[in-house]
Amino acid sequence: MVDLSPARQPREADARPVPFRGGGFAPGRNRWAGLVVFVALIAFFEVGTRTGVISSLTMPPPSAVAQTLWRLVETGLLWQNLGPSLYRLAMGSLVGCGAGILVGFAIGLFTLARAGLVPLVSALFPIPKIALLPLFVIWFGIGEGSKVALIAFGTFTPTVVATFGAVDGVDRGLIRMAQSFGVPWLRIVTRVVLPDALAGILSGLRVSLAIGIVLLVAAEMLGARYGIGAYILEAGALYDLERLFAGVVILSVLGLLVSAGIGALERRLLRWRG
Amino acid sequence: MTTLATTRRSVLAGIGAASTLPFLPRRARAATPLNLGVLRLTSHAPNYIAYERGYFAEEGFEVELVFFEAAQPMAVAIASGDADFGVTAISGGLVSLAQRGAVKVIGGALAEEPGIPGQVVLASNQAYDSGLTTAAALPGHTFGITTAGSSFHYMLSRVARGEGFDIAQVEMRPLQKVGTIVAALGSGQIDSWAIVPSISNRLLAEGQAKKIADMSQYAPDYQVTTVFTSSAIANDDRARAEAFLRALSRGVNDYNAAFVDKTANAEEQAELAALVGQYVSPDVPAERFLETMTTTSMRINRDLGLSVSSVRDQLDWFKAEGMVPADVTEEMLIDPSFVATF
Repeated sequence: MVDLSPARQPREADARPVPFRGGGFAPGRNRWAGLVVFVALIAFFEVGTRTGVISSLTMPPPSAVAQTLWRLVETGLLWQNLGPSLYRLAMGSLVGCGAGILVGFAIGLFTLARAGLVPLVSALFPIPKIALLPLFVIWFGIGEGSKVALIAFGTFTPTVVATFGAVDGVDRGLIRMAQSFGVPWLRIVTRVVLPDALAGILSGLRVSLAIGIVLLVAAEMLGARYGIGAYILEAGALYDLERLFAGVVILSVLGLLVSAGIGALERRLLRWRG
Repeated sequence: MTTLATTRRSVLAGIGAASTLPFLPRRARAATPLNLGVLRLTSHAPNYIAYERGYFAEEGFEVELVFFEAAQPMAVAIASGDADFGVTAISGGLVSLAQRGAVKVIGGALAEEPGIPGQVVLASNQAYDSGLTTAAALPGHTFGITTAGSSFHYMLSRVARGEGFDIAQVEMRPLQKVGTIVAALGSGQIDSWAIVPSISNRLLAEGQAKKIADMSQYAPDYQVTTVFTSSAIANDDRARAEAFLRALSRGVNDYNAAFVDKTANAEEQAELAALVGQYVSPDVPAERFLETMTTTSMRINRDLGLSVSSVRDQLDWFKAEGMVPADVTEEMLIDPSFVATF
């Protein structure tokens, strides 16, 4: 019931300007906030450990971790450990992601492959790869073979899932149009499906490579003398928190670099999208 | 695991209390809870004996056994207060925790003694056949360790010192767990290892490895394991630590009499072996476990005496290898006021 009688109408004196409120939630850009969080956190731990509020049993002072990192660089130990790890990560993810993309494409394109392989991939995905490490040692030997195989196996399944998802998501209209124009099958795959699926595949690679880095530590549990994972495990065994955190920082930086590398690849390969 | 232990313990405690109550000396103290870290190894037999025979209970403790897979997590658990006492080898991790003021070594346990079974250096069958028949031939071969700074790492260093080669010439393989090393040695993935007799005898009997040297030849006074506790207990709760050591010493006496000096009769031996076997190797038949115990038991120091000279040697080695900071002192690691030292 709306009462529109003149007596009820607002008087001139009550009128006031109404500000615009419908701005929506729009997170803006602030390049300093992230840095401030980092610096504040590090400063908190530095002060806490220096004053003894945080016991030396629970956290090392960040400055001591930085010193340890610097010593690693100085003594060349960093490269001695990073070299084998990068090799294992590169070989493992090359094999795992490479095979994953191929299988993913096969699943996306062929009925038989989809019917036969999707259940297999779904069955393999949840297996904790670390549990298979002793088995891999017997299959591939205690040297580089078992470590590369573990990382390859771990990166394979997420890549398959991301790839066939991306292939499924390719615009059907574009494929139908190409087929109507009589474009050969292989050309449709390389010129229509691949470019359109690339965004999904690359974002899948981000996840796969991060899993690869996680598995690096697991792979180096068995029989590795050098490697970032072996370095972290050794530091843990010696209860040397400075070295432990230094190793963790190196892994984090490795993750950032891999992510940045894929970001660069995305910008380059997906430039056509505008 | 914990719930299982609790149930079993409460049942056993019930039976034990019912049958032995009239003979126990009256103590006014109420039972204090105590968490004891143990490994499922024969070298931990005195813990199980003292527990099952009620020696801890007689000192007024209500003991909860906390099982670990390796020495290192046990040291961390004692530092964090999740376990009160533990018996294990001196590892780099233990020294680091001692330096941070968290744990203290208060007694000695397993030790090498000439004439008594001791740790041995093993070679895989493959390596043995291709010439690794003495410890002097170790350079150029692989050697299994659990982690850097473990007792296995130290033993290799003593072999290297004794044979006069550089430890860097042997390629160490960190494999984290004893079980993994056993599998790797049996399948020839690693060439050599050094281990306590209870495990080496089994490997030798099954033909999975060959013996190439005795550890006592290189480290005759080696203090293999020590008793340790948190610094808080060692410093502020002396009575508790002393009572614990008294109870454990009675377990040690029973163990030495039955399996090392063999002064106890066969009945006592069988009883103790059954008591230990249920924790260490429940899947092994009683007769076989009894034989393992009587033929492979190493000496555990009487009254948990501590070889300070051996601990000093180990500490110096950790420092020389750069595994622990150079400013760790003997005082940070050991409190020698609890037991006899030599």
